[in-house]
Amino acid sequence: MLKTEAKPIPRRRKWNTLQAREAQLAWLLILPTALIVFGLVIFPAIFNIWISFHKVGLNNLNDVFSAPYNGLDNYRSVFNDFSFKFQGMQSWGAAVTSIVYSVTGTILTIIVGLIAALLLNQPFRARGVVRAIFLIPYVAPIVSVAFVWRWILDPRPSGVVNDILMGLGVIELPKAYLATRGLALLLVILFEAWRYFPFAMLMILARLQAVDDTLYEAAEVDGANLWQKFRFITLPELRYVLGAIFLLRLMWTFNKFDDIFLLTGGGFGTKVLPVLTYEFSFRLFDFGRGAATAMILLVLLAVFMAVYIKVVMQNIESE
Amino acid sequence: MAGQTFSEAPPTARPSEKLNFFEHMARWMNWPRFITLLLILFFLTGILFPFYWMVSSSFKTYAEIGAREPVYIPSALRLDAYRELFDPASPSYWNFGRNIVNSLKVSIPTSLIAVVLSILGAYAVARLKFRGKNLLLNSILMVYLFPGVLLIIPLFAMISQVGARLGFEVQDNLPVLISTYLAQTLPVALYMLANYFRTIPSEIEQAGLIDGCSRLGVIWRITLPLSVPAIVSVIIYTFMIAWNEFLYAFIFLNSRTLFTMPIQINTIFNDPSPRPHVVMAASTIMTLPVVFLFLSLEKFLRQGLSAGGVKG
Repeated sequence: MLKTEAKPIPRRRKWNTLQAREAQLAWLLILPTALIVFGLVIFPAIFNIWISFHKVGLNNLNDVFSAPYNGLDNYRSVFNDFSFKFQGMQSWGAAVTSIVYSVTGTILTIIVGLIAALLLNQPFRARGVVRAIFLIPYVAPIVSVAFVWRWILDPRPSGVVNDILMGLGVIELPKAYLATRGLALLLVILFEAWRYFPFAMLMILARLQAVDDTLYEAAEVDGANLWQKFRFITLPELRYVLGAIFLLRLMWTFNKFDDIFLLTGGGFGTKVLPVLTYEFSFRLFDFGRGAATAMILLVLLAVFMAVYIKVVMQNIESE
Repeated sequence: MAGQTFSEAPPTARPSEKLNFFEHMARWMNWPRFITLLLILFFLTGILFPFYWMVSSSFKTYAEIGAREPVYIPSALRLDAYRELFDPASPSYWNFGRNIVNSLKVSIPTSLIAVVLSILGAYAVARLKFRGKNLLLNSILMVYLFPGVLLIIPLFAMISQVGARLGFEVQDNLPVLISTYLAQTLPVALYMLANYFRTIPSEIEQAGLIDGCSRLGVIWRITLPLSVPAIVSVIIYTFMIAWNEFLYAFIFLNSRTLFTMPIQINTIFNDPSPRPHVVMAASTIMTLPVVFLFLSLEKFLRQGLSAGGVKG
């Protein structure tokens, strides 16, 4: 009975409704994630632009919409701030320090990661264990590793590095490594490589294992040595992945706050833009100026990435 | 570098010939092998020494910590530092147990909520067609671009506006902290799970649909059981991110009773009378569980790491 009474639904419409239902379900499923990400990341990021043009302090943070508009004052005061602008080799300012820190840190991370990946690409006993150990710096909490390194680099004679270097006769008096201009920045960069090389290593290792073995066999027949095989087979095969790692790591390093804040507190020539943003906002409680600094950071990063993608990545493609 | 060169067994001795260990080594060793071995040892020392130093320092006494020369091997496993952390009778008692509980109170909800929401979202991304999918995905991945310090000021201002209307505080409010962690972890979780779901042949699901399962039924009965490794990875990653997080907790938590472990360790470190052994003891407590958790499941987790599992 029922079967005969049911109206035949046109084929096209049925297909459409099924598709429409599927799309509805998809939106329903992804809605919570989208709401949280938009509400707590995308919207605040846009709101930050608004804050950077207003005078927001501790007094009106709770009632931010009544904050007075002050045009480009925040930006002007950041650009004129002594901890921001470059004033010769003695005092680089946060912008230049940030660029030096993230570019050299990223390059060093990739070099160390490449060496580690080449080591682990060779079969040897206990390779699995060694690889697992190599990943530890990357997964250990930043607070613990930063404080361990501070304790190892302790300025007292009882610091491990001081003890070893004085024992070897390299230095006579104990050094305050993280409180010496220049040395501090170098050590923060080395720390960056120590902590983040596993990321580069894993990505390179995955690519290495996909390289066709016959390439090496052919090279061996032609009498290529180890270096030649690396230079003319391995490196070209890795070009894309190295470019991608550089981009990702550069972005994350440029945005990094915890590492430098915990290691040096941003002192002794290691004040990078994220730390400066923090200081404007939470030491001076000038949130407008902090927001402006963060915007400058973001714009610098965006420009750098755009240039990088345009120039470097396209060069790789055209080669 | 070509792995094969080192893997080939060197010309072996006649099986009857007896060689001692050093003769074996001498035959096996060549320059590339020697350099490889040396480099691996260098890496292992550089990685493991700081962790050895952390654990061993945590078992030293105040006298050993303050000695003129570093004590490389503590004379005994002394629990002075741990007593300061946990024993209310200790003169400088840190009540670290409370901080462990706070960290768990933040990390466990973060990882559980993140995994549930991202399973749903990732399924939609991997299997369903809808308009605006790419735009949505790209904007979710934009999270990677924004530094935490940029977001924290507007977040603070925004949440205090909402809080004033709904009657909750921004600071010293663990649910607020959890929701900011969710915003940081969901994109990663979504990305990892969607990638995994795509590797499951969709024919299996279609069979389920034809047999009369609803979409949610298919997710529950077919997709989830097949994705256990990926789901475990996501739970562990999000847990680790929340467990390790410093900046947001540092800004959003003011009251000592609510400090998570990283903030308390920072407080101990900045105590007027330096007590590195206590800092190291607290760091050991915080580090060992995540490192062991990671090592025990390393096989599953490795892939997620290179997918940006830990943003940082």
